[in-house]
Amino acid sequence: MKCVTMFRQGSHRWLAVTGDPGSGGKAVDTNQFVVAAGNSGMLLDPGGIEVFPAALSALTQEIDIDDIHYILLSHQDPDVGSALPLWRRVCRPDVTLLVSSLWTGFYAHVDAAAEITPIPDEGTRVKLGEDVTLQLVPAHYLHSAGNFHVYDPEARILFSGDVGAALLPKQALDTFYVTDFAHHIPYMEGFHRRWMGSPAARDAWVSLVSRLDVKVMAPQHGLAMRGDDVKRFLDWFAKLELGSGVAAMRAER
Amino acid sequence: MGKGEVAVGQESRANENFDGASRIEARIGALLGDCIQVFRAFSELAELAENLRILSLNAELAAGRAGDKGRAVRALTQYTRELVNRLAQVQTETAGLMSHTYGLTAAILREHHQHALIERAVGAITAGSGTMADSASRRLEEASVAMTGTLARSVERMVEYIERMSARTRAVAEVVSASDSIATNIAIEAVGAGLHEAEFRTVADTMRRYVEELRTIMEQAGAAVRSAVDKGVALQRINRSGRMPAARQGVLEA
Ligand SMILES: [Fe+2]
Ligand SMILES: [Fe+2]
Repeated sequence: MKCVTMFRQGSHRWLAVTGDPGSGGKAVDTNQFVVAAGNSGMLLDPGGIEVFPAALSALTQEIDIDDIHYILLSHQDPDVGSALPLWRRVCRPDVTLLVSSLWTGFYAHVDAAAEITPIPDEGTRVKLGEDVTLQLVPAHYLHSAGNFHVYDPEARILFSGDVGAALLPKQALDTFYVTDFAHHIPYMEGFHRRWMGSPAARDAWVSLVSRLDVKVMAPQHGLAMRGDDVKRFLDWFAKLELGSGVAAMRAER
Repeated sequence: MGKGEVAVGQESRANENFDGASRIEARIGALLGDCIQVFRAFSELAELAENLRILSLNAELAAGRAGDKGRAVRALTQYTRELVNRLAQVQTETAGLMSHTYGLTAAILREHHQHALIERAVGAITAGSGTMADSASRRLEEASVAMTGTLARSVERMVEYIERMSARTRAVAEVVSASDSIATNIAIEAVGAGLHEAEFRTVADTMRRYVEELRTIMEQAGAAVRSAVDKGVALQRINRSGRMPAARQGVLEA
């Protein structure tokens, strides 16, 4: 895995840990992100337990683990936070763990000793250093019932969790940004049709994100999108038919 | 020695530990397999105890009908009921032991897996060129020591559970032997019981059958306990040889 600096302005940074963690190809690839400003940082979706050694090693090439003051778990999936008990072992003892209020009791199944700060449905703001305030914006039902994305208005980066995720062949992970949006669609389409079930939630989310000034959209899987590709994604997603799994329930038995 | 050489050495140490850890996981898995055998054997006790209880009640009624000739049989059936109570007690104790054992095994396996990943992270950080890794390395080291300590204590606790299982097995073996002599004595009483001879003989034969079933169950449980003891002792040996250094923390939550 490698650690890529996506954004840097003084001490304000976005780091992305990407690439094959060497889990033998069984685990779906994930991106881990860190936003830092001053001596304070937030780790976004620390990842699955098998990814931990490689992710930690990659991250410590760029940042001191003591600077991680917050860990955000966008939702409850194992690829998001099953490594939580291990990250807690290496992070500062007072690290704040943030997850939707829906999932606090569920995370106790992963890490019973963790003290978790629940995020209310409407989201919250978290200040890093002197000048950076992150917005934890609701993205419920996309795909998880209690789900948050992170928007940084200074860097104009949106961490979009599973929205915008793509399941790519290994060789495609050598790049970090989408270079040909039309070519990228097939890698996202099946996933979004099947995993995203609520058109109402999608419409609300597209409307919310359209009002933000997003230069880069960074999902938890696959490649980030920047510039016009963000708008292209929003247009494509707004029209996509969701909930393809419903057909299985309508099928004759 | 150059930095690269240290790194390679550290990484191979981590891989070695990871392989060692999976071997230990396999041992713990096998140990749990033995414990499950023991619990399965003990789970059959409830039905046998109930059969034995009903038999003793019927025998007591028959003894009543036999009057003076049934006095000794009546005393024997009362003693049988005491044995039944002892079996029920062993069963209750085993149920508690069973849930603790499952909980502890799950906790040990989980902690072991996490420990292996911590060791891997140590290897990955050392092999990498991280310049910001000091705090992470220190915490990984602390975590590793704490986890090995917890594991060591948990293995000790596991061995303690196995010893308790072994004690329960011995308690049931005593019941088997006592029931066997009761059956023999009832058969002896049957000889002089005249009209009631056939009735007492049936009680004695039925009781012998139950004793045989009990003995079979206890032989299975005994073999599984012996096998578990061996595995527990082997784990303790690994533990004490320093693969899992001295305990610092409490035992894993069962
Ligand atoms: Fe997910
Ligand atoms: Fe995901």
